[in-house]
Amino acid sequence: MTSELVNVSDLNQYSYCPRRYWYLHFYNTQGRNYYRVEGKTKHENQSTRGNWLNELYLESEELGLKGKIDVLDLGNDQVVPVERKRAESGDYYRSDELQLAGYCLLLEEHLGESVREGAIYLYETDQRMHIPITENHRKTVQEQIEAMRSMSVESVPPLTDNRKKCEACSAREYCMPEETAMLEPDKATGTAFEQEIHNESN
Amino acid sequence: MKATEGMFDESVVYITKQGTQVRTDGGRIVVWDVDGDGDKLVSYPTEQLDTINVFGGVNFSTPFVARANEHGIVLNYFTQHGKYRGSFVPEKNTIAEVRRAQYALSSDDELAIACAMIAAKIRNGRTLLGRKGVHGTDLLKDLGVRAENATNKDELRGTEGEAAERYFSRLDETLADGWTFEKRTKRPPEDHINSLLSLTYVMMKNEVLSGLRQYNLDPFLGVLHADRHGKPSLALDLQEEFRTSFCDAFVTRLVNRGTITHDDFNRDNRLRDEAFKTYLSKFDNYMKEEFTHPYFDYSVSRRKAIRQQVILLRKAIVGELDDYHALTFTR
Ligand code: SF4
Repeated sequence: MTSELVNVSDLNQYSYCPRRYWYLHFYNTQGRNYYRVEGKTKHENQSTRGNWLNELYLESEELGLKGKIDVLDLGNDQVVPVERKRAESGDYYRSDELQLAGYCLLLEEHLGESVREGAIYLYETDQRMHIPITENHRKTVQEQIEAMRSMSVESVPPLTDNRKKCEACSAREYCMPEETAMLEPDKATGTAFEQEIHNESN
Repeated sequence: MKATEGMFDESVVYITKQGTQVRTDGGRIVVWDVDGDGDKLVSYPTEQLDTINVFGGVNFSTPFVARANEHGIVLNYFTQHGKYRGSFVPEKNTIAEVRRAQYALSSDDELAIACAMIAAKIRNGRTLLGRKGVHGTDLLKDLGVRAENATNKDELRGTEGEAAERYFSRLDETLADGWTFEKRTKRPPEDHINSLLSLTYVMMKNEVLSGLRQYNLDPFLGVLHADRHGKPSLALDLQEEFRTSFCDAFVTRLVNRGTITHDDFNRDNRLRDEAFKTYLSKFDNYMKEEFTHPYFDYSVSRRKAIRQQVILLRKAIVGELDDYHALTFTR
C-alpha cells in the first residue's frame, strides 16, 4: 500500500477499467485522443461567470484523495461541484458519477458540512444534470481508493469484462485486448474476450 | 476483428524541400517556404505527429523545438541524399518502469526475444522468395527452425549469418531483367540494388527507432546486436523481422515496376536528387499501404504494424505478455 494520494480524476479511470488506470499510472500510456485535447481548449475559454468558482484544489490524507474541482457553483444555500464532460453519446457514465462523489467527499471535509449532490455539465447538449451522491457512491469510492493504492506494477489487471468499454477506450491501441487474447489466450480467461477466442477456434 | 482507429499513419512527416522552416503556430506545426515565396506549405495538428524527418537545408524555429520537446516529437536529420546525421530526442522520453524492466531482462529472456526475431526474419525471407516463384528454399526452413531453438546468442548469430547468405544468393532470381544482385555489400554499396537496400534499411531503422522511443524503450540496449556506443542495437534487433518482409520487398518492387531505373543513380551508386524524392514519397506510401495482418486478420498499414510490434515487444519486456510475438508471414 502506498501513501500516495489518489487523484479524483483517476477514480474515473479506474472504475472505467482498472487495466486502463494501470497503464496510465505505471506507464503513462495514453492513446492520443482529439477529444481530450479539444475538451481542454474549451475549458480554457470558459471563465468565471456569476456565482462560480473555478479550479479549487483540495487534498485529504484522511480520505487518501486529492483533486481539483473544475467549477464550484456557490449557488443559493448549497455548494455544488460541477464536472464538465465531453461525451459523444450525450450521456455520462457511472465512472463520472464516482468522480463527482470523490469531489463531494473532499469538499465535505474541507467545508465541514455535508455535500449531497454534484452536477455534470455535458458540452454536447449544453445540459447540466444534478446527481445525488448516495451511500453506495461513497462506499464504492472508498473501496476503490483502497484498491488503487494497493495496485502494483507486477500485476497487470485483467482485460475488461465489457467489450463496449474497449471501443471507447483511449488506451486500446496500446492494450490490444483482442490481439492479446489471440496471441496468448490464457491472458483472456475470465474476461469479455474469452468467448471470442473460443468462437473463432470453432 | 477490426483494427483500432489510430493516427500512426499520419504520424511521420518527411520534409525535403530546401530552404523551408518548421514553426509552431497555435496548436499546429507549420512548414514555411522561407527561401521561396514565403508561403505556408503545409501544417499539421501538433498532437498528430511523433516523428519529423528532414533532409538537407531545412531548419527549425526555437519555439518549435521547445514544442517538439513538450509533445515528445522526435526530429531526425538526414543529408539531402538520405544519409543519417542525428536526431533530436525529447527529454520526457523515459518511463522508469519500462527502463527498469528492460535493464533487468535476463539473458534467457533476451535470447528468447532474439530467437523470435531472427526466426521471423528467416521465415519472411523464405516467404518473399516463395512469392516471387523462387523454389528450393527448404534449407532456409531448417535454418529458421534452428534459429527458433538456438541455445545461445553465438549460435543464433551463426544461424542468422548462414541464412542471410543463402537468402541473398537467391534474391537475384526475384529481380526483373536488367537488374542483378550478386552479394550484399555495405560500405560502400557496390551496385544499385545494394545501394537501395542500404538506403531502405536506414529508413526502416528510423521507423523502428521512433517507434521504440514512442513507447519509451531504450533503443541502445539490444537483445542480440552488441551494444556499442552510438549504435541503436534494439532498433537493429527489431528491424530484423522487417528487413526481408518489408525492406527487400520494397526494393524489388521499386526496380521491378520500373519506378527506379539505372539512370536514376549517379556514379557513387547514389540516387540522383529527383529520384531520391521519388524514393522518399514511395517509401512513405509503402509505409501507409495496408495489408491483411497474418494473425489479427484485419487490414493494417505497415507503419502501424511496426508500431504494434514495438508495443508487443514492450509488453514482452515488462512481462505483460509471456513471449515476444514477431511479425511472421508464412504465405
Ligand atoms: S482496451 Fe479495454 S481492457 Fe484495455 S484498458 Fe481499455 S477498456 Fe480496459
